[in-house]
Amino acid sequence: MNRRTLRSAVLAGAVLVCLPLACLGAARAGRAPEPDSGAHKPQRIMSTNLCSDMLLLMLVPRERIASITYLAHDPVEALLPGADRGVAINHGSAEEVVRDRPDLILASPWSGATMRKLAAQVGAPVAEIDSADSFADIRRIVRQTGRLVGEPARAEALIAGMDRTLARLDANRPARAIDVAVWDGSGSVPGRGTLTDAIIRAAGARNIAAKFPDSRHSSYSLEELLVARPGALMRGTDGYEAPSLRDSAAEHPLIRAAYRDRRVTYPDSLYSCGLPQSADAAARLRAALMKTAAGKVPW
Amino acid sequence: MVSRIGWPLAAAVLLTAGILLSLGTGRVWLDPRALIDGIVQPKPNLAWLILAELRVPRTILGLLVGATMGLSGAVLQGLLRNPLAEPGLLGVSAGAALGAVIAIYFGLSAAFFLATPLLGIAGALLAAALTMQLGRGGTLTMILAGAAVSGLMGAGLNLALNFAPNPYAAYEMTTWLLGSLADRDWDQTLLALPFILAGWVCLILTRRDLDALTLGEAQAESLGIDLARTRLLALAGTALAVGAATAVTGAVSFIGLMAPHLVRPFVGHQPSRVLLPSALFGAILLVFADVATKLVPTAQELKLGVLTSLVGAPFFFWLVGRLRRMSP
Repeated sequence: MNRRTLRSAVLAGAVLVCLPLACLGAARAGRAPEPDSGAHKPQRIMSTNLCSDMLLLMLVPRERIASITYLAHDPVEALLPGADRGVAINHGSAEEVVRDRPDLILASPWSGATMRKLAAQVGAPVAEIDSADSFADIRRIVRQTGRLVGEPARAEALIAGMDRTLARLDANRPARAIDVAVWDGSGSVPGRGTLTDAIIRAAGARNIAAKFPDSRHSSYSLEELLVARPGALMRGTDGYEAPSLRDSAAEHPLIRAAYRDRRVTYPDSLYSCGLPQSADAAARLRAALMKTAAGKVPW
Repeated sequence: MVSRIGWPLAAAVLLTAGILLSLGTGRVWLDPRALIDGIVQPKPNLAWLILAELRVPRTILGLLVGATMGLSGAVLQGLLRNPLAEPGLLGVSAGAALGAVIAIYFGLSAAFFLATPLLGIAGALLAAALTMQLGRGGTLTMILAGAAVSGLMGAGLNLALNFAPNPYAAYEMTTWLLGSLADRDWDQTLLALPFILAGWVCLILTRRDLDALTLGEAQAESLGIDLARTRLLALAGTALAVGAATAVTGAVSFIGLMAPHLVRPFVGHQPSRVLLPSALFGAILLVFADVATKLVPTAQELKLGVLTSLVGAPFFFWLVGRLRRMSP
């Protein structure tokens, strides 16, 4: 066999093997819903990202959810108690895609590559939902998800609710903006361009970490905190009872004493995913800041 | 010899410079005059708080930890007659880290305030005992035993993180283990102090025995040295001091390796003469390294342990090269 015949034989073999696969793929792709049409409603939606779990639970009835992530339970209890009862869970793995046979997969841009490859093979469309770092982002991803799952009207209602809360907050801003810092002992402080910063601004306070030019999540030393003299400190509570370093060791006695009555705690779950509830988080934050001690810190 | 007279002066100058730099620098630049004014002005004022509550405990902790590393490195190198001996290489630091991680993540330190240093010491003791037991018989065996024990302690650490009840544990601990003196307070410094001092006493008590050991183990025993006692003192001293220090600062490596080698050209090779200078230079090295981490203008804090490793690893290469040249 000379070289040319060998090459054509290989080519023919490849076509023979690939053709049925391609047909199968095309047939499956044909069955898959058109993500943008909105007319066809996916019936077995799988979410592989904590933030899209929440959106999904708010947008569609439980019967249409194939599975949500194993991380969702605690935040769901905080935000939508009982909403995930009876919903199967997944760990974002490739095998679970085969198990759940979803007709739509909501994923984050960072989801596992193997899972995507397998999802493409079983013909389930994978939709990427960005994480939201601002209220504009939240509107965008809620609309996008609403369109994908075939519930655009429900999505608009959620956005309208959020915008009402935001408008109410904006209409009666406090006379004096309190300087706040998120200080949880981990040394990492969310700055400009983060969802936390957006919530703080909506609450009518000023995030001292937003002053720095490059500070989405920079480390912030105690010296810098003392110099900035924030009027209140915010601390996320993760809802995990288990002990951690930031709970046990990190609080400097100086800060503990000076900020005894200038502290606000917030549930981490409200600040980690941009959701329509982020506006409620801002409202809660404003109410909590009102109760902190007025005036300046002693130095 | 001039260098033998000159070194205490050099050490004093360097130490003073290191302490002043450490007190004068930080993530926030304050004019030295403002700092001095802060001492006399009515309190609390900003300069005073930064100086008294943050920079002074940090400097003291840096001196304590550096001296601990230098001293234990010198004792271990003398005891094992091995130029590569150091708490980090023998797995002692890893053992201490394992103990501290268990204390923090399984709720022990929240229940009992001494749990972190005590478990740190227990971990260090376990690791040091294992290395010394396994590694008897020569330089190479000891280093291999140290690597094996480091590996074991590292596996234990990963296992503890794997099963830690808190999902943030892995991230927090990985960062903590990089080693840092940042934002430590008086409580933490004073908590570690008694253990560190007790460790120093044990380590210094081995001084005379180490000199005899330079002749070889059999000769030392024939001179009336109780080798079991010497080993026990070195073991307990290293575990106490390094365990308590690691429980407060995380892992800071290579200081214990570098300090004895840096002072030997000046004070000679007699182990008992190396101990004190090595402790002093360990403290100086660590304080200067900590000043460097504060002066590097990065958004994320440069961790002290990362810096000492970056500086220490080339030194280690140089040592290995020298050993190769010297060995037949």
